[in-house]
Amino acid sequence: MPFSLEQTSPTRIKKSSPQELLVVWADAHETTLLAPVLRGMCPCAHCQDEMTGIRRVLPIHIPDDLELRKLELVGQYALQIEFSDGHRTGIYSFQYLRQLCGCAACKALASS
Amino acid sequence: MNVVLNNERVLNELRKVQDPDLHKDIVTLGFVRKLEIRDGHVRFEISLTTPACPVKDQLRDQAIALVRAIPGVQSVDVEMTAEVRSTPQLDKTALKAVRNIVAVGSGKGGVGKSTIAVNLAASLAKAGARVGLLDADIYGPSTTIMLGVHTPPPPMGNRMTPVDVAGIRLISMGLLVKMDQPLIWRGPMAHKALQQCLFETEWGELDYLVVDMPPGTGDVHLTLAQAVPLTGAVIVSTPQDVGWQISQKTLKMFQQTRVPILGIIENMSYYICPHCQERDYIFGHGGAKKAAETLGVPFLGEVPLDQAIRSRADEGLPVVTSDPDAESSKALRSISEKVAQQVSIRNYTAPVLEVE
Repeated sequence: MPFSLEQTSPTRIKKSSPQELLVVWADAHETTLLAPVLRGMCPCAHCQDEMTGIRRVLPIHIPDDLELRKLELVGQYALQIEFSDGHRTGIYSFQYLRQLCGCAACKALASS
Repeated sequence: MNVVLNNERVLNELRKVQDPDLHKDIVTLGFVRKLEIRDGHVRFEISLTTPACPVKDQLRDQAIALVRAIPGVQSVDVEMTAEVRSTPQLDKTALKAVRNIVAVGSGKGGVGKSTIAVNLAASLAKAGARVGLLDADIYGPSTTIMLGVHTPPPPMGNRMTPVDVAGIRLISMGLLVKMDQPLIWRGPMAHKALQQCLFETEWGELDYLVVDMPPGTGDVHLTLAQAVPLTGAVIVSTPQDVGWQISQKTLKMFQQTRVPILGIIENMSYYICPHCQERDYIFGHGGAKKAAETLGVPFLGEVPLDQAIRSRADEGLPVVTSDPDAESSKALRSISEKVAQQVSIRNYTAPVLEVE
């Protein structure tokens, strides 16, 4: 696991605009993720093959104007996101959300 | 020396009393309430985070001694009370009135998980807490037998009412299906049944809801970890390595879903010879304790193999309430206090997550 527990523990999750998800982590790092990216990287079994891990849906398949509709916590390890296209089966673990952070430092860690 | 006896003077003394778990003094923690001074007679209340506090007497005695030593104090009257705090986030779910949910899990069956869960719940209730017990071992519910409950409670509209037994509010799949009927269910049905037991039961206000899990790692575990923010889980193991190795899997599962591990309990730790009272560690000794140390999780204690546990359970009585002086009862009581203590620590230190 490239990220520590602190780095994958959010202290605040906010829909900062109709298209933007802001996550503030326990290590004070901030991640902003766009709805089309989140939707295109949805980890549900429909969007990503359960057996092979091959993605069936990618961010390029998603219209640019897609929005976030609803955020809901799953237990204490993940976030369920409902998008404006009605899709809501993805359970984004905090670990996964941090891996999706687009900053150079997190990208380097995620691929290590 | 002419020191005025006032609230400030008393509080200053009480600031010397440290809560050993939360590492702060009882005044800063807001435990001291209703302080009254009348003609040298001092009265106050110490409100702890659990009625099952293992250091209750120690804190009270220390507080009394310190205040008694203030010049001008004639008498000290302390009332010990408790207000169990909620697990962060739990108050935002459909289970608002439930303050804490503690899962009791194990890697394999037959380690005495239900026995521990029943006695943990009964101990906490006896200490004065409001306790619920959800038997989520849908395929082999045994808490109804251990608590001597045979008839399901009448439903309240479309909601279930728990059975009141041994001071516990109990809901079990054993009450909903006929005793002699096996449950042959696919995963989604187990998922649905657990959700119903959790959310469609009239629990009322609870300080602790103890959930007796099925053995292993399966649908029910994942459902529970996803449905509610659990306060934490306790793992029951036997001293034997094989029992322990499998329990480790359960531990890893809880970690993956970020359910805090409140600690490990070793059951069937030793046998007390009824003739010479000597302890016999028939399955080996110290395995779970060593493992807890390695994994950095609290070790909550050892429960002996004791005929009292078994015979009382067969009669439908938890040993901690029916035979409180038995060796096993003492061990179980101490464990329940440690669980309550871990819950308090966790609620005090857990980060608060805001979702907007």
